[in-house]
Amino acid sequence: MADALPLQNPNATTAEIAQSLRDIRERKKRRANLLRHLFLIICSFVMVYPLLWLLASSLKPDAEIFGNLSLWPTNFDWANYSEGWNALVVSFTQFFWNSTLITVLAVIGNVISASFTAYAFARLEFAGKNFWFALMMMTLMIPYHIVLIPQYILFLKMGWVDTYLPLIVPRFLATDAFFIFLMVQFFRQLPRELDEAAMIDGCSPFKIYWAIILPLSVPAMATAAIFSFIGIWQDFLPPLVYLNDVKDYTVPLALRMFSSQDSVSLYGPMFAMSVLSIIPIFFFFVVFQRLIVQGIAMSGLK
Amino acid sequence: MSKIKRRTFMSRAAAAAGASVAASSLGLPAFGQDKVRIRHGWWGNPERDRRTFEVIDIFNGKHPDIEVVGETLGFNDYFTRLATQIAGGNMPDCIQQGYGVMQEYVDRGTMIPLTDYIGKTIQIDDIDESGLSAGTFNGELYGLTIGANTMATVFNKRLVEASGETFDTVTWTYDDLKRVAVAITKSSPDGVYGTDDSTADWGAFGVFAGQSGYAIQYTEDGKDFTFDTPLIIEFWNMWKDIRDAGGTPPGADSAGLAGQADLTVQGVVTGQTAITYAWSNQIVGIQGLMQDTVGAAMRPHLAGGQPGQSVQPSQFICLSRDTVDPEAATTYMNAFVHDPDMTAVLGMERGIPEVSAVRQMLAPTMSAAEATTVEYFDSIQGHVAPLAPPNPAGAREIEEAFERIAVNILLDRQSMEDTANEFMREARGILRRA
Amino acid sequence: MRKFLAKNAPGYIFLTPWLIGFFVLAIGPILISFYLSFTKYDIASPPKFTGLDNFDYMLFWDDRFWQSLKVTFAFVFLSVPGTLIFALAVAMALDKGIRAIGIYRALFYLPSILGGSIAVAILWRQLFSNNGVVNSFLALFGIQGPYWLSDPNYSLYTLVVLAIWQFGSPMLIFLAGLRAIPTELYEAAEIDAAGPVRKFFSITLPLLAPVMFFNLVLQMIEAFKTFNSAFIISDGRGNPLDSLLFFTLYLYNEAFSYFRMGYASALAWVLLLIIAAFTAVAFASSRYWVHYESDRG
Repeated sequence: MADALPLQNPNATTAEIAQSLRDIRERKKRRANLLRHLFLIICSFVMVYPLLWLLASSLKPDAEIFGNLSLWPTNFDWANYSEGWNALVVSFTQFFWNSTLITVLAVIGNVISASFTAYAFARLEFAGKNFWFALMMMTLMIPYHIVLIPQYILFLKMGWVDTYLPLIVPRFLATDAFFIFLMVQFFRQLPRELDEAAMIDGCSPFKIYWAIILPLSVPAMATAAIFSFIGIWQDFLPPLVYLNDVKDYTVPLALRMFSSQDSVSLYGPMFAMSVLSIIPIFFFFVVFQRLIVQGIAMSGLK
Repeated sequence: MSKIKRRTFMSRAAAAAGASVAASSLGLPAFGQDKVRIRHGWWGNPERDRRTFEVIDIFNGKHPDIEVVGETLGFNDYFTRLATQIAGGNMPDCIQQGYGVMQEYVDRGTMIPLTDYIGKTIQIDDIDESGLSAGTFNGELYGLTIGANTMATVFNKRLVEASGETFDTVTWTYDDLKRVAVAITKSSPDGVYGTDDSTADWGAFGVFAGQSGYAIQYTEDGKDFTFDTPLIIEFWNMWKDIRDAGGTPPGADSAGLAGQADLTVQGVVTGQTAITYAWSNQIVGIQGLMQDTVGAAMRPHLAGGQPGQSVQPSQFICLSRDTVDPEAATTYMNAFVHDPDMTAVLGMERGIPEVSAVRQMLAPTMSAAEATTVEYFDSIQGHVAPLAPPNPAGAREIEEAFERIAVNILLDRQSMEDTANEFMREARGILRRA
Repeated sequence: MRKFLAKNAPGYIFLTPWLIGFFVLAIGPILISFYLSFTKYDIASPPKFTGLDNFDYMLFWDDRFWQSLKVTFAFVFLSVPGTLIFALAVAMALDKGIRAIGIYRALFYLPSILGGSIAVAILWRQLFSNNGVVNSFLALFGIQGPYWLSDPNYSLYTLVVLAIWQFGSPMLIFLAGLRAIPTELYEAAEIDAAGPVRKFFSITLPLLAPVMFFNLVLQMIEAFKTFNSAFIISDGRGNPLDSLLFFTLYLYNEAFSYFRMGYASALAWVLLLIIAAFTAVAFASSRYWVHYESDRG
């Protein structure tokens, strides 16, 4: 150690000491960053592997998918994509349109109604609040399969079976408690003083919800939007029981029609369509995850 | 490409929503049409769906007073939705059913017998006796069939040839199987074995029971079995013999395949083995997943035993109790199995036509795997057992219990006696509870 | 009276959509399933009231009920901490000051996007098959991998790995939570020469508590209700030897494969009680470790 550290050097100036402290921190930081990247890259590979596998499978002929475990297809066969798009009695143009329509409406319904309900639970005082909150949590714990049949009969009596209504309307009535709970947790994080100050200024609870809570909750909204988009886009049990006409089917339902145990399956085309089916989700994620970050920066909170 | 008839809708919601298709689904179905609307539901695959919708179009073209609409889903999804629809009283008018579970649906009262419509909307004069008796449950005709199905052994021709051993695909026995399987394991690369292991395969046990003289496996009241644990142990010992000789993958490996109906995991498809046990209507599907060519054989026979394999209907078309108009529904069902234009389109997709003349008529248009299937089907005539009576309620659960409990043998976790007793105890409980 | 209204009205007005949904769509089916749990109901014919028979059979005669509880509890206790720790670690690594952060975030979310599709089932079987990627990888180190999918001692781990691998949503929630922690706090700590470990325990963890609480409760509830992954990977059965017989899978088969909707309803209510008990404990304990900004002062 020729150039002894300024720290141990009694003759070092204050500026030198400061500089060396900065150096140490810088070096430490760089090392930490390198480690962090290494960790992330290894993780990334594990995370990306399934997508690579899916892509590879979508380029293989059926005869090669199951007997050959190697990732690399012997020859790239894009035919699965064109074949898959029109392999079923209805083209995927229709399925993607159906899924988009249902998902967009349902996501809007989810985010609006859940934020409404969550605002009541997180920021307002009213009689019976704990009781309703407990009931709300209970709906989260019931296994869906068990209410499926009573719910089906209910919608049947209402004449809603074979329409999109059972898939959309409940979303506007905050029936998915997951999102309420998610937003309650976010809203409770916002400082109380905001409401109190606004209240003193004569703002109504609606004004507070609209002008204070919502703008500050962009990250929460974005998170809820991402989760509900993914959840609804992939949901298959409700569309399965409520939609009878193939022309009304959603993408996940259509993907389940490629394989068959008592005849010919089309796995390559199914994988090709699976790849295409995650593109909207990926796109939605990339756009909205930005809001999670930006939202906080914009709000200037903290 | 067939067109699906658009349902007509009227609703203000539809008009407001604008986009035509989306709106039709958001709105409410219109009533007051003159046509009777008949729903036909089936489990399918891309090819079957295409053909069936085409058939529906043909029918609708010939019957201006009836409008048939098709509803299709994958196999597992189909039964989930059917259960929901049973509860809601909203089953399609005509539904597809399999032979194995039909009795259960009949017993639960979800179907209407066709008796009242025979000679009126349904003609049975030209349906052969075997087809009629297969569709008869509790003494009444419940289902019409358009094709037959039977078990099969599917083998990888290349691997079998490489072993140097040969066998007769019709008359071969379990001893032949052992000889061939062991030879294949020896002649194949490491990790490739002769045959899949049927220790945990209820269907294979059923064949073995038939061969051993238990053609009927359930007592008449459907609450017990005609056989007892020794028969099961004998079956397991026979397979243990093949396994110990090296003819099958290690038991622990085979355990993962127990009860897996998915074709993609079968040994002949993954390349782990050269011989897999399946059904005749799966041969074409298996071939589609493989690069090597497959051949078809009967399930092996028991030396000195009786025929154990039988021919059964592949699928029925039946009348559900929720039908809105049984006359119209049965008119469609009748056309589905008789109308030459319609049956020509359906071809052998739903099973092999039972009349050999029809099989020969279809021959020129067949793929290699389809030809293998038909050839196989022709070859087994005279070597099959009569069709056993339909399974009682609870049969599906028993099958699943067997496939679960027998894994103990493959993993060597308990003795055969204990395992057989465990199975019989659970199975009898299921029959009592059903 | 007016005062009472003024105090409560806003809350109930905001609650209205949920109340309508709850009373019109949710409560009916829930109460019906409660009634059905005391009946024998085969879906095809009307339910027959049988009193406590279902519960009697469940508790004293049904081995598979206990097996499904065992499987589910083991899964919850393995997968929930695993997912949370992994999600938090990755979220912290992704938090700030790193290049290409958006790409990483999207990549890490991929497994969650693939969800419970058929493709994932086929992929998982190929990964963990005897000559699959996992065992080939272990073989590089001279380790002879087990039969992951067919050995009942190991099969559950493949599903735990699958659950942890799909850690995208808790990660995202952690990320949002981390973003909300004021950077000044860390800067202040650095002036005090606090190391990363101390920073983590004295700043990150306490301020992340509400988010941690949310993730814990939600992951727990979801884990108890796990269905999709078990269904697709075990072909809907829970094989081998019921080692993947998750509670909801058992319940589903009872209802839809074996036509015992009454018994399945009884199972559902037992599961509900178990989840409710665990959630109640979590809420009770949260008083000691979760502090909300809005509750201060």
